[in-house]
Amino acid sequence: MAEMTRRRGLTGYLLLVPGVVWLALFFVIPFYSLVAASLFDPGGSVFSGYEMTWHVQNYWDALKEYGKPNSWSDWGPLLRSFWYAGLSTVICLVLGYVLAYAIAFKAGRWKNLMLVLVIAPFFTSFLVRTLAWKLILGDDGPVVSVLQAVHILGADGRLLATPVAVIAGIVYNFLPFMVLPLYASLDKIDHRLIEASGDLYANPFVGFFKVTWPLSLPGVVSGTLLTFIPAAGDYINAQLLGSTNQRMIGNVIQNLFTDANDYPAAAALSMILMVVIIAMVLFYVRRAGTEELL
Amino acid sequence: MSSPADLADQGAARATARTDSFDGLRLENVTKSFGSFTAVDDLDLDVPRGSFFALLGPSGCGKTTTLRMVAGLETPTSGGITLAGNDITYAKPYKRPVNTVFQSYALFPHLDIHENVAFGLKRRKVGNVDAQVTEMLELVELESQARKKPAQLSGGQQQRVALARALINKPEVLLLDEPLGALDLKLRRNMQLELKRIQTEVGLTFIHVTHDQEEAMTMADTVAVMNAGVIEQMGAPQELYENPRTTFVANFLGQSNLIGGTIKSRAADVVTVDMHGVDVSIPAARCHADGDEGWIGIRPEKVLIGDPGEQLDAPGNSIPGGVVTDVSFVGVSTQYQVRMPWGQEIQVFAQNTGHRRIYRPGESVELSWRPDYAFLLDASQDAKAGAQEGTD
Amino acid sequence: MVDRPDPTAGVGGARFSRRGLLKTGGGVAFAGLSIAALKLPMFGVSGAKQDPAQCRATDVSSSQKELIISNWPAYIDPRKKSTSTTSVFQQRTGITVDYTDDVNDNAEFFAKVKNQMGSCEPINRDMIVMTDWMAARMIGLGWIQPLDAQSVPNLHQNLIEPLRNRQWDPKRTYSAPWQAGLTGIAYNAAKVPEIKSFEELLTRSDLKGRMTLLTEMRDTMAFMLRVVGADPDKFTDAEWSSAIERLEKVVASGQVRSFTGNEYIQDLAAGNIVACEAWSGDVIQAQFDNPDIKFVTPEEGLSLWADNMMVPNLATHQANAEEWINYYYEPETAAKLAAWVNYICPVEGAKEEMEKIDPSLVDNKLIFPDTEDLADAFDFMPLTDQQSQQYEGDFNNVIAG
Repeated sequence: MAEMTRRRGLTGYLLLVPGVVWLALFFVIPFYSLVAASLFDPGGSVFSGYEMTWHVQNYWDALKEYGKPNSWSDWGPLLRSFWYAGLSTVICLVLGYVLAYAIAFKAGRWKNLMLVLVIAPFFTSFLVRTLAWKLILGDDGPVVSVLQAVHILGADGRLLATPVAVIAGIVYNFLPFMVLPLYASLDKIDHRLIEASGDLYANPFVGFFKVTWPLSLPGVVSGTLLTFIPAAGDYINAQLLGSTNQRMIGNVIQNLFTDANDYPAAAALSMILMVVIIAMVLFYVRRAGTEELL
Repeated sequence: MSSPADLADQGAARATARTDSFDGLRLENVTKSFGSFTAVDDLDLDVPRGSFFALLGPSGCGKTTTLRMVAGLETPTSGGITLAGNDITYAKPYKRPVNTVFQSYALFPHLDIHENVAFGLKRRKVGNVDAQVTEMLELVELESQARKKPAQLSGGQQQRVALARALINKPEVLLLDEPLGALDLKLRRNMQLELKRIQTEVGLTFIHVTHDQEEAMTMADTVAVMNAGVIEQMGAPQELYENPRTTFVANFLGQSNLIGGTIKSRAADVVTVDMHGVDVSIPAARCHADGDEGWIGIRPEKVLIGDPGEQLDAPGNSIPGGVVTDVSFVGVSTQYQVRMPWGQEIQVFAQNTGHRRIYRPGESVELSWRPDYAFLLDASQDAKAGAQEGTD
Repeated sequence: MVDRPDPTAGVGGARFSRRGLLKTGGGVAFAGLSIAALKLPMFGVSGAKQDPAQCRATDVSSSQKELIISNWPAYIDPRKKSTSTTSVFQQRTGITVDYTDDVNDNAEFFAKVKNQMGSCEPINRDMIVMTDWMAARMIGLGWIQPLDAQSVPNLHQNLIEPLRNRQWDPKRTYSAPWQAGLTGIAYNAAKVPEIKSFEELLTRSDLKGRMTLLTEMRDTMAFMLRVVGADPDKFTDAEWSSAIERLEKVVASGQVRSFTGNEYIQDLAAGNIVACEAWSGDVIQAQFDNPDIKFVTPEEGLSLWADNMMVPNLATHQANAEEWINYYYEPETAAKLAAWVNYICPVEGAKEEMEKIDPSLVDNKLIFPDTEDLADAFDFMPLTDQQSQQYEGDFNNVIAG
């Protein structure tokens, strides 16, 4: 009996091996070298090499350069990234919730088709989709023309190279990551619970907030995380749809790595981004109290 | 409740009842169709205030749909529903003084037991919620579980929470949708008694939907047997059992031997039927056949079994020529299958009083029953209707 | 100077910015590569400098008639045709050419090969094609093998004058231009009047927010240096600072819509912008569809650049590579290539050969510029590693907002 148990335990550990090896190779080692790079002597270069000088100052320098607002209108790339990502996540949540709710409860036999349509954008490249938005939001494109016709935009107004375009792009690109977990959560809700709330004197509005919403919280939490985390580090939308005034932290990191070849600064900034995101996520998950939900 | 006399002239009684102030739940000509499928067909139903009413039928008979229309979860295609004289046909579920105990309990998994039970009161902004909840949890003996989540409770406990959550609102009508279906047999028996006790205690109108005939008969004052969207027969459990009006009721509620026969004469109080050469008499009040042909019905436990030529204590119908083909001893009784001269197998349940010996297969026997126990059903009905469904 | 026009594709909508696509796509891969490139030891990373004399392989060209080339996409006439320049080369020399268009971006390609080249390991290529500044960097790092001047007589004989005497390779010891181009200004003549200078581009109010500059530091800053009166061929730190400050001001004023790779050409075609800093080859392509798009060489001067063929360390078919270079420096071959790719042909005598192939291109100054036109052309001075990192950082801070 004990023999059996031990062997079963061993099988469990063996099953862990591929995943652990994978993580070690593709997460732990790069992470370790990222941490190391963030502490290199900033005076080094790709050409002369870098010395490990435990230069913690890299973090301060990166924060000073990119982490503080320059003015009321210019927040600097780090804060701007979190602002764009946060706003995009809220918009995604509102749009995504309505969509997921409709698919889960109202779509009937169109449910699968609608789900396919939600996933359909994934069948084409992320970049091509974002470039398509460039056409849609272009100065001579349909959206600007309509907005100009109804005088929301002035005659020389534009959407491209504004925060509107960048946030619209982020919302569009990450909406499926919001819809799918929300749908999974909503679809799992026993419809009889909603009937029960109506039976117990809750009108549909109250019923939604007392029953549907709390039961969908796991989906809300995972959807917002799946949207917010990549959105905060995203640089493609800002690069293709924005201008220099919309650059996000991802653009800065990319530039530091590829063009400026300033590895210590790039690594320090990557670490800062990661730490801030992890801190925000931990705080959020604590507050949302997902462990209480079933 | 409903005596046989009431039922006999139900139509007339209803005509008068419509006009006076009936304070119970009333369904009038209610029809519910889903596409081309008619789930409930022109249903008329009166549930008196304070009664324990059971809606009994096989799955798909329309009983749950009927319940959902009362709860407001479905809207009738036509017809009307009134409660204490108020038309509630189209009222929103959250505006009806009706609460439901759902088949799967539908407890809110994110709320604890206390919050579940308090849900209805809070929505109605009633004061003193905590005290009422505590009181209600005491009634269902769950006060110690108040801060647990539903998933931490056993099936029987969850069932009691569901009951408490509905009862606390003191609805005019409490709807129970197969509330015991998920429980095992022993627990189900306990809960049946519990429910009955609580109903007696609070005095509310209970409408209990079930496919379990035993459960319906144990608990309800009045049972309505429903089949294919219509009510086949309604009355007190004993009345339904002893004097079924259709083959469906005869088979669904317990078991019946239905034997074909030809009506020879109809007197004022007795009808004589020729049953394969044997004259059988049946009280006129128990005769529900219009034509010349009919099904003579007799419950297996009402059939007496004896040696050929033996004088059984029944004064009337005595049928010779049977042969025992199967015997099963089940303790309290012995169940025989007896092949009659016309080829039909008749079921006989003989109580094991110890006074009689047990027959073996192949032995010749004579059967007999008191005319008072037999009933006559219309030959146009299917003799097997309801036979399978009633057995679980 | 990173995208090559693809004459087989339409211009504008159908031809989405290849560089834009690849650069961003590459960026993702790049981040991973860069991190991996940092190697494990916690105590620093050694430099990438090599000595080409030490880091070389035995040439097996005579026994293995092969040649492995990495070039930019759509930068050669269709190779499969039996009359193509490549086919003729193969027929004539018996050398099988393994040609891959896997260079999408200088910085990205640098990252891709940095680990091997920086530690003297083979990258399994006999020839790579890099833009001037990256060529300069690689030569400076000692990653490139010198060419045997005897084996490439056509190069030294036929290379056009303006491309000789580059500071980073004055005698063309290491590199041979494949194609060249100009950096200048493009504008939409249907929407705005002619733009004559970079100064105008930076200040004219009708261009405000409808103008883009290039993300390539050397391209943009060469003109900025000119604007502040400095010489990109030779400037001081103070002049550099002044040029950066000027750019900062321009950006702050909202004049610049964004800094781009060559996706500016779609924005120009789509009407999102009316003017931009541009590369000549892109504009020639765009003109086929929209004649209103004009290319001007700014009054500040011409920025001439080239993409250069080079033999990396440990290449095993150097002689074959030299044969290839020599072949493409025959005027006839060069003309055939130029007729297809529409960039500036670096080969003297190709213009005369072009008369036979496509007379309409002979007078195209963007393919065969006059020598006097190019007299004003400037080059960006070679930077030390520290300068390079410093200037790239400064520039990046401005365009990063």
